[in-house]
Amino acid sequence: MAITFRELLRELVRAAGRRAGARAEPEPAAGATSPELLPLRRVVLADDVSRALFAEYAAHRTSDRGGEETGWALLGLRRAEEAIALATLPAGTAREADEAHVKFNSAAQAFASRIVRQGHRQLTPLGVVHTHPGSLRHPSTGDFRGDIEWVVNLRGGEGVFGIGTADAEPRPDAGISWQPAPNVQCFGDLCLSWYVLGKRDRNYRPLPVELTIGPDLAAPIRPVWDELEAHAERLDRLARQLSRVKFEVAAGREKAALTVTVPLPDDGRAVRVELEGKDVRYRLLTPDGALAADLREDRVDVGVFLMLSELAAR
Amino acid sequence: MDFRPLTETERKHLITALRGNAQDGLAVLMDRQTTSFLGTAEEVPDEEVINAIRSVPCHY
Repeated sequence: MAITFRELLRELVRAAGRRAGARAEPEPAAGATSPELLPLRRVVLADDVSRALFAEYAAHRTSDRGGEETGWALLGLRRAEEAIALATLPAGTAREADEAHVKFNSAAQAFASRIVRQGHRQLTPLGVVHTHPGSLRHPSTGDFRGDIEWVVNLRGGEGVFGIGTADAEPRPDAGISWQPAPNVQCFGDLCLSWYVLGKRDRNYRPLPVELTIGPDLAAPIRPVWDELEAHAERLDRLARQLSRVKFEVAAGREKAALTVTVPLPDDGRAVRVELEGKDVRYRLLTPDGALAADLREDRVDVGVFLMLSELAAR
Repeated sequence: MDFRPLTETERKHLITALRGNAQDGLAVLMDRQTTSFLGTAEEVPDEEVINAIRSVPCHY
């Protein structure tokens, strides 16, 4: 059968199109690229995080302020459909609380997040845990009013919310936790009930909780939490003003000390401050050793800049 | 076992992830069930974290 040049050309174009279509790259497999944040389907707690929550809740209940509500902010990783909690930031001794409310010491928690994130820049706020003195295992209406405004600040527009209650019937197999529901953990007489709230939700949704082996990355700073709270605002200011400042926990004279190290350019020296209890000690670190500075200044940011000024003048 | 060539997009993501791991120590994420490549752990800016923590509301 005869074929015209125009028909031949049309067929060639069609064939080329089919070949191009056959070579087209397949869609990337689900999850093969940077994960898109979907609605949360579970919260995964590092086992040290879970232990810290139960242990500190139990300790709180036996403390002088045991009748008050308390809580923790959670930091971790936000994956496509799960939140992995890797750090707990306690409400702090400077929290405002009674038996019906708790307002965390957010200044201290914010600064604590800087310390924790020094080596873990991918950590993000996931949500909060707080306790109820009675047996209400669900966030209250008042909680909803604040949380629905707050979750827009979180990755994925969703927050994880844990409610602690002390209303479980302890089991005879003491020492082992159990889950009466996928979103509820019980240990002894303590329960943690987990929920998620998205910015468009009309109510909290139960959120299944799982455990994985992992750290509480905020555990190392617990021994210096008092110092951290006492100096949080000034230390946070230093962190914003000096890009290379580093915060660590080190052995002090009688207990752990929170240390602040500001490297000086080029010569291997550094200004170091040790915060231990009410003591604020200033040091000049040199390649040959540490020199104590004769400086008495409780305002740690002022002290650091006085040291830097003195050294710059020499 | 199923093998298939990476798409151009997947290849770029993987190279970026490996480079970030080698140069900056960034985590390379793996799917827990299939062990497939999930991307990298993105760094979260300080200000985003600080603002979120400072704005935690009162709880009742």
